[in-house]
Amino acid sequence: MKERLFTSGRDMLNIDPVVNAWHWEIPAYLFLGGLAAGLVFFASFYYLRGKEDQMPTAVKIAPFIAPIAIVLGLIFLLLDLKHKLYFWQLYTTIRLDSPMSWGAWTLGVVMPLSVIWPLLYLDDLKKYFWNRNIVIYEIIDWLEKLINDFDFTKTIMGWFKENQKAIAWANIILSVILGVYTGILLSAFNARPLWNTAILGPLFLTSGISTAAATIMWMAYDHYEKVRFSRIDLWLIAVELFLITHMFMGLSSGTSASMDAAALFLGGPYTVVFWVGVVGMGLLFPAVLESMELLGYKVPIAIPAFFIILGGAIFRFVMVDAGQFSKYFFQ
Amino acid sequence: MSDTQNKYMNPYLAGVLLGLIIMASFIITGQGTGASGAFKDIIAAGVVKFAPAFAESSAFFGKYAGAEHSPLKAWLVFEIIGVIAGAIISGALAGRLNLKVEHSPKITSKTRIVMAIIGGIFFGIGSQLGRGCTSGAGLSGMAVMSVSGFLVVGVIFGVGYSLAWAFKKYWV
Amino acid sequence: MSPLITPGSEFDLLWAFIIGIGFGFILEAAGFSTSRKIVGLFYGYDFTVIKVFFTAAVTASTGILLFNHLGYVDYGSIYVPTTFLWPTVVGGIFMGLGFLIGGFCPGTSVCAAAIGKLDALAFVGGIFGGIFFYTMSFETLWMEFRTTSNLGVLQLSDVFGLPLGVMILIFSVFSIITFVVVSKIKQNIKNVEY
Repeated sequence: MKERLFTSGRDMLNIDPVVNAWHWEIPAYLFLGGLAAGLVFFASFYYLRGKEDQMPTAVKIAPFIAPIAIVLGLIFLLLDLKHKLYFWQLYTTIRLDSPMSWGAWTLGVVMPLSVIWPLLYLDDLKKYFWNRNIVIYEIIDWLEKLINDFDFTKTIMGWFKENQKAIAWANIILSVILGVYTGILLSAFNARPLWNTAILGPLFLTSGISTAAATIMWMAYDHYEKVRFSRIDLWLIAVELFLITHMFMGLSSGTSASMDAAALFLGGPYTVVFWVGVVGMGLLFPAVLESMELLGYKVPIAIPAFFIILGGAIFRFVMVDAGQFSKYFFQ
Repeated sequence: MSDTQNKYMNPYLAGVLLGLIIMASFIITGQGTGASGAFKDIIAAGVVKFAPAFAESSAFFGKYAGAEHSPLKAWLVFEIIGVIAGAIISGALAGRLNLKVEHSPKITSKTRIVMAIIGGIFFGIGSQLGRGCTSGAGLSGMAVMSVSGFLVVGVIFGVGYSLAWAFKKYWV
Repeated sequence: MSPLITPGSEFDLLWAFIIGIGFGFILEAAGFSTSRKIVGLFYGYDFTVIKVFFTAAVTASTGILLFNHLGYVDYGSIYVPTTFLWPTVVGGIFMGLGFLIGGFCPGTSVCAAAIGKLDALAFVGGIFGGIFFYTMSFETLWMEFRTTSNLGVLQLSDVFGLPLGVMILIFSVFSIITFVVVSKIKQNIKNVEY
């Protein structure tokens, strides 16, 4: 056997220069996690501000997507794990310095809470899906009957209803943690200069909230709410552009490794995917359409909403992929 | 409908602007605008992705299979993404964004859809043989005074005019 | 000296996107997202396509000639298509038929589909089908024919033995005459509502 001497820890076969350990599962999981975090955040936020009836879609309807997104995301995550049967071991330990541990625990708490929330609004969901999707309507109807069939489920739901405020407070805090975690998870990888920046957390949080706002805007049936979320989305897009600018400024003024990482997007192989897919079609184009909508032009809300959501997804895919490409280079 | 007709740009103004865009395209990137090539790239990407072995052995897809980049990373693909954005913005400005099947009152939507699919198939084959479509081979070819460009436009319009009578009931 | 951007580079593709936005905007604004407006040219009730098409060709060819004259552009460094006589003619016949039957060309169908025309979406599907058929039958049907009658990189001026500028002038005059003629024709044709 040929003897090899590792001095830097960098010269590892299949790890440097390019690992392709993470495929579509991880970015899809991060996207769904961000979306769920945003939906939970808006629902709790408007509930606590007493706007349950002014923002019916945000508070009552859209949150039913959150548990579905989380479950789907966890399935993707599980698909990615090498040792699938050991995933529960994440829950046998709490490590405050590990974002993976934080994320696992946050998800563990958010998951049941996000299931409870839509259960409190089954009547409204039924009304919403009555003439939209009869299959979903039937499922909700069945769920409602199931809950009303047993005394103890009714008691539990009643208890949740009484304590909804506490749930909302817990949700708001946990959703921010979840949203930030989807970014921090990446930035904790010190070996990947593109990810190793403090801006990634807030950027992923904003992007997640923005995809959630787009979803709510798409589902909203009430003009007031549509316009409200259109405005919110415009603000979020502005914040995202600001954070993206800062990310590149930060990277470009850093070490040569982070400059190389920035160069991936400024002439390197990810330039056009990022600037066209994420910034052009995912941020600027919907921003133009939403501004036109607010100025009184007739724009079907589904178009900007679709491109924001798609842009958010592409953003995760590009960041995860490019991050694995970026490296500290010693030669 | 007279009120919608006013919402279209003056054709000569549109022509001048279109000409300037094509000119800018040639000066900045060295090539004109087009469309059909993007469809070909997307098909090539699909074949290379899902049937790589076949792609390598094929005379048509061979050059895509060995390439460093995905065939999707092509000029025309990104141009078409822009076209979609530009068309939606213009449609929004003029209030033309809505789902519908447009057809002559004499035919049904179904007939129109079938016609559109058949027309698309013909155009798909023709654009490969003619090395580009009306915009790629025709307009961009004419912009650089290429015989090919004038020839293809002449043939397309010639066929259109000489056979127009046969399809009159579908349009007017 | 053109091209300003290295062909195939990342920034080249970025420019493709930007140029595409302008291209799509103008096509849609001119009314090319409406099949019945487009085919109007074959039945005489709407000549928008001819007007836009020829004006664009005159503008672009004059502009490129001008920049060539000033030394910013060289016809050798931009893409002037090679002329393959018979493949182009046969391809043109196919495209003419597709145009007449389907009412769009690929670029305009993308525009029309983007603003929600479902018939345009069907046309896009048809193009995919057509190209897929072409690629699958490439070796048996088209491969040899495709490269026959190669006339090389040929400009119209070479054929007529005239300077390029004169050729563009002739083309411009021809276009203006066409515009006058089609306007006359349109006056005599009953308006079609679409």
